[in-house]
Amino acid sequence: MNVFFEILVSVLQEGFVYGIMALGIYVTYQVLNFPDLTVEGTFPLGSCVAGVMIASGLNPWFACLAAFLCGAAAGGVTGLLHVKLRITDLLSGILVMTALWSVNLAITSGSAVKAFYNQPTIYTSGPAALIPDSQNTLRALTVAFLFCLAIKILLDLYLKTKSGLLLRAAGDNPRYVVSLGKDPGNMKILGLMLGNGLAALSGCILSQREESADIYCGTGMIVLGLAAVIVGINLFSGIKFLRSTTAVVLGAVLYRGVLMIALQLGLPTNYMKLLMAVLLTIVLVANKTMPTGRRKRHVARTQV
Amino acid sequence: MKNFAKKLTAAALAILLSGAFGACSSGGSASSAIPAGKSGGAQSKAYKSIGVIEYAVNPSLDNCYTGFMKGLKESGYEKGKNLTIDFQNSQADANNAQTIAKTMVAKNYDLVMGIATPAAMALYGAANPTKIPTVFTAVGDPVGAGIVKSLAKPGVNCTGSADILPLESQLKLIRAFLPHAKKIGVLHTTSEPNSTASLKTFQRLAPKYGFEVIDVGVTGSSDVEPGMKTLISKKVDCINNFTDNNVVNHLPGLLQAANEAKIPIFGSEVEQVKNGCLATVGIDYVVLGEQTGKMAAKILNGTVKAADLSVYTVQDGKPVYNKKVMQQLGISLPKAYSSAEKIAG
Repeated sequence: MNVFFEILVSVLQEGFVYGIMALGIYVTYQVLNFPDLTVEGTFPLGSCVAGVMIASGLNPWFACLAAFLCGAAAGGVTGLLHVKLRITDLLSGILVMTALWSVNLAITSGSAVKAFYNQPTIYTSGPAALIPDSQNTLRALTVAFLFCLAIKILLDLYLKTKSGLLLRAAGDNPRYVVSLGKDPGNMKILGLMLGNGLAALSGCILSQREESADIYCGTGMIVLGLAAVIVGINLFSGIKFLRSTTAVVLGAVLYRGVLMIALQLGLPTNYMKLLMAVLLTIVLVANKTMPTGRRKRHVARTQV
Repeated sequence: MKNFAKKLTAAALAILLSGAFGACSSGGSASSAIPAGKSGGAQSKAYKSIGVIEYAVNPSLDNCYTGFMKGLKESGYEKGKNLTIDFQNSQADANNAQTIAKTMVAKNYDLVMGIATPAAMALYGAANPTKIPTVFTAVGDPVGAGIVKSLAKPGVNCTGSADILPLESQLKLIRAFLPHAKKIGVLHTTSEPNSTASLKTFQRLAPKYGFEVIDVGVTGSSDVEPGMKTLISKKVDCINNFTDNNVVNHLPGLLQAANEAKIPIFGSEVEQVKNGCLATVGIDYVVLGEQTGKMAAKILNGTVKAADLSVYTVQDGKPVYNKKVMQQLGISLPKAYSSAEKIAG
């Protein structure tokens, strides 16, 4: 029974970390209607930036900020490629993702893995130090949960501002943005910066948990993020008191949770990706076949 | 009704979350009680559980595992009698290795073992905050990977056996087999730290034996074959392998290309020579694994801590050669290596 709780805690903790990335994909995919593949490059970017900074002894909280800014910069490049150079959304994401591979390697000076064991991370320093070492798993869970909660609340507050409104409009109704005298292209760039910044932050936090940065950790992230968004939005759309952002985080937790439970129950690791695809299909199909009375068709996807 | 079901799900998740918090605090103290038989078994061979992650499906790494089990058996731990093994393969995917490592640590095994650097790093990262000791094998540069502080004294709850290549002996062997060769081609994966470290040493030592090293760096699985073609086009006299997981995985394809061009490939360990490489001053991965097995047994017994157990490094390997390949290439066995072990093709 103890093992079960350990695994549950581990699942929740990872779910919250991926939840931050899911929030990023929520901003780009759901709010901006932009399928952004840059995330596969931005996630390891955050991881590598954190790895290099913490390995050289810098403050881990500062590393988180730096990771966010680097991710935002990468997202900005995607935005510029799409808006100014008029490259399609999918391709701009792919271009930046490919370029980031080399950038990540350059950041780590050529090594694929950068370890920083036994250095202070956000899990061991600052507020986290209040919880003793013996309660290590509880501490990790608390840090991840509070971080995710803080990001989610900040995002909600942002989406309520005028800038946030323009962001939501840029994805749904660009003419509204133009009628207010603003450029929807600029809002798209801003949204991409925000989304990728969050993805990089998520990568940064994950690498601090594993105490090593890895340039390969981005593979499959877009699938995970999209799955979290889709699972979250579709499963929890009926619950009135649950905001979309919360739903997306819960989607990440749930999705990751089901995978881990399947592994625990003995699913060979080789079939994990197949299970991911099957789960996603089930959620997509189930949503379509539910009676329409439950789904609020008149509510736009961008409703916060 | 369906709306109610959704609210129920949300409520259940909330309960689960608070349950996890509650369980952690009580679980922290109770976890030391499991598994059964762990208590103070300093002399008795109490029942132990070990989690093993093999990084990739690869005969060299399989040899490590065979050796590991052999080493454990010789020290009194036998699978089925007083030992359970959870053996997982991460299919050359570092993310997979991380996931499996976290699961193993959550299951609170007595010891975890990683075969090859990415598996060892994933396990050490996951087990470091806990009391679970990590052992490794087939890690080329444990200090560089950050999993030990120094080879002589790890200083952390992690130790094992490293496959640092005896490159100088390898160069001597190549010179003996090919007295007139000038260029050695090397394929190395830029993202494997053990490979880049071996390359640096190799480049430093090669001029001493009158060799020029032609190096092609590859970034991933799909670059290996084109890289090989580039090396052949640069008219290298022979090719040398390092303990590079990515390159060694593609050995059959490399051998085919090299045989067509009549260029010998010198392997980095015994299994590669069995599969068609000409010769090596090889590392015997079975012996390497055995050493890790014995170290693991000592740690399980409680007689020694991992932090104090120095990392075992391969001493001079023994030269082996493949007679069939040698005859195919029209090379004769050098006198100095007439006592080298012959492996049938």
